[in-house]
Amino acid sequence: MNSLLSLPLLAQAQDGASNAAIVSFSIYIAAVMVLAWLSNRLLQSKSFLSEYFLGSRSLGVWAFALTFAATSSSGGSFIGFPSLVYTHGWIVGLWIGSYMIVPIVSMGLLAKRVNQVARTTGAITIPDVLRDRFESPAFGATATGLIVFFMVFNLIAQFKGGSVILQTLLSDVPMFQMASDSLANVLPSIPILSWSADNPGYLLCLLVFTFAVVIYTAYGGFRAVVWTDVMQGFVMVGGVVLMLPLALYAVGGLGKATQDMAKMTPPNKVQLAFSVETARDSSLSIPANSWFVRGAGDSARVFRTAAQALIVAGEKATRGDDDKGIPGIELTYSGHIQKQVQEATNRPSSLQDVTVEVIESVEYKSGAGQQGTYVTGPGPHPSSDAGFLPFSLAVSFFFMWTFSGAGQPSNMVRLMAFSNANTLRRAIFTVSIYYSLIYFPLVIIFCCARVLLPGWETESDRIMPEMAKATTEIINMPWLAGLLVAAPFAAVMSTMDSFLLMISSAVVRDIYQRNINPHASEKTIKRLTYVVTIAIGAIAMLAAVSPPAFLQDIIVFTGSGLSTSFLTPVALMLYWPRFNHYGALAGMLGGFGTHVTLYAVGTIMAGGKVAAYRLFDFHPFMVGLVASVTIAVIVTLLTPRPPENLVRKYFYKDGGEG
Amino acid sequence: MSESKPKPAEPEWDPTYLHSLREVYVIIALFAFFCVWSIFVCYNYGYLSPGEQRSTVTTVLGMPSWAFWGLCLPWLAVDIVAIWFCFFFMVPDDLGEDQPDVYEEMAGIDGKETGNE
Repeated sequence: MNSLLSLPLLAQAQDGASNAAIVSFSIYIAAVMVLAWLSNRLLQSKSFLSEYFLGSRSLGVWAFALTFAATSSSGGSFIGFPSLVYTHGWIVGLWIGSYMIVPIVSMGLLAKRVNQVARTTGAITIPDVLRDRFESPAFGATATGLIVFFMVFNLIAQFKGGSVILQTLLSDVPMFQMASDSLANVLPSIPILSWSADNPGYLLCLLVFTFAVVIYTAYGGFRAVVWTDVMQGFVMVGGVVLMLPLALYAVGGLGKATQDMAKMTPPNKVQLAFSVETARDSSLSIPANSWFVRGAGDSARVFRTAAQALIVAGEKATRGDDDKGIPGIELTYSGHIQKQVQEATNRPSSLQDVTVEVIESVEYKSGAGQQGTYVTGPGPHPSSDAGFLPFSLAVSFFFMWTFSGAGQPSNMVRLMAFSNANTLRRAIFTVSIYYSLIYFPLVIIFCCARVLLPGWETESDRIMPEMAKATTEIINMPWLAGLLVAAPFAAVMSTMDSFLLMISSAVVRDIYQRNINPHASEKTIKRLTYVVTIAIGAIAMLAAVSPPAFLQDIIVFTGSGLSTSFLTPVALMLYWPRFNHYGALAGMLGGFGTHVTLYAVGTIMAGGKVAAYRLFDFHPFMVGLVASVTIAVIVTLLTPRPPENLVRKYFYKDGGEG
Repeated sequence: MSESKPKPAEPEWDPTYLHSLREVYVIIALFAFFCVWSIFVCYNYGYLSPGEQRSTVTTVLGMPSWAFWGLCLPWLAVDIVAIWFCFFFMVPDDLGEDQPDVYEEMAGIDGKETGNE
């Protein structure tokens, strides 16, 4: 380990983009509040429950298409997905590739029939449909229980995700930092919130996000959620469509970017220590994402920190927790190394006399030193020998994205809400084009980001706002970054509001009205709806104050769990006249049980980290779906035929009376 | 000549159900086709063997050729197929009248009649 004089470069986010972020966020919140107010006015003239939870089954093409698309695109689409493209390269295009067919499958598979059956029974929620289709209160109650179980977990994770995104985007805004500091002073005196005393910025974002989402959802109901989804949908696609030409312009064309990527090799993961020749009177802070260049010419080595480092006053060196050093990366691609060496000589620095020492250096397990790894499969991976996307996972994800979307109750309830079949036909086409404009361009944009902004493996979740800042600065229009960074807000909020309303409808309609008090007055239902929506939002927020770790894993667990539980019973009840409630209940519980068991085994094997056990290398969603179908069919065939009146009602013209 | 009892007329299947079922078969076939196309092309032409180096890559419209033939082209093809599926194949069936919610009727809480607070 050599210790040489380093030339540090600070590459912190500039105020411009963050100020744009806070302005765009404020305008955005104001707009959703206006939409909620308008929705509430409309609510006054309609039947409360069917308007509040289903928009009176009257959605037109744009509302239906964009609420479906926006609800499916959570924060992952604009934070996690760009991060994956940046980290693993072009192969992430195959990982998300099935979105080409998702609209046709997830809307076309069930939409007409679920809408028709819901109309036949006057159902407002998915458990309503299930219960009425089989005249089985037990089945309806089971469905309600599963929705509440999975969605509460998911909602907590989404709340945390939204707050982390907001905090990331606002972290450099002075006004935000002042507000965080003020909050930090009062937190220790509030027992229920004192857990967050170490991270007041996160708590502040959580409070703002919760307040905004809960208020507009509770006040405006389904209609407000749909209208805001439409706005959010336009914001998302607008952000991508604007960013694509900017990114291509910035890298000099896609062909050049792809050839540059072909030459790249993955960085090494390093642990660093920093020291100064003479101790200082005050502590020296080295921010996260600081560049350090060691040496010169062809032997230059370039490092970037992934966490803040501190040389305490009076001391000469710093180490990270447990003396392991400060985590960071070392670039290995000569093109990026030379670029950073050039920028190092051009920039003044306040950290000139800091030297860096490499304590430990670890290569990627897959793709290290392998040119071409970013433009081919299976893609580089820091901890998996098989790479990012081995064949079995490519097949799994192609199936999972497609059919998981079809089995989501939050999507199904939208399928109950469109006005007629012509609306459905136009909406499927609209969503097909919409996804084409979002997902493939995102792959291109963040492949360009790999070329333009090296070293963000240190904090790849920030690549979206960083790319917005970089591309808009190149064309000298930093204000445009505000519009681009509004896309992640939009994506998270459009998912959160839908989930919040799903849980609220499950409690008010499916539990209270259908099981506890069928004769409840409108006044009671109305009050209960508002109270429950606000209460669920508050509970989810409190749970997110000290949120579970492994956020993305929990989101995948709940999303795939809902699909394995619901897709089979819903699909078979719509298309198989012989299907009965025994088979439906067994299929639902069979899928649920298989999925949860595989996750439990995986979590135990991973030592407590939420993880899936991959039977034959396939994701639990696929195994659970096969189990659900098999169990549902076998149990149905072994049990009595369904009542003739139900078969006639749902499968024959005019209820079989013709 | 004995008069036989007239058989009760066989009820007709719901046309919306029949059309939807036909559409489901096509949807599954489309999924299978594009899944095989995409994964076959990407896996056969876009995957490196362990240790293999590829410092240049063949491109089409600036993207790796496997990504163009295995992702971009089928994606465009799906959009074209979507036009056929949505506007020429899918039947715009009558989905029926929306039945009133029995629970709202039971409680006499139809907002249009009682007004709202």
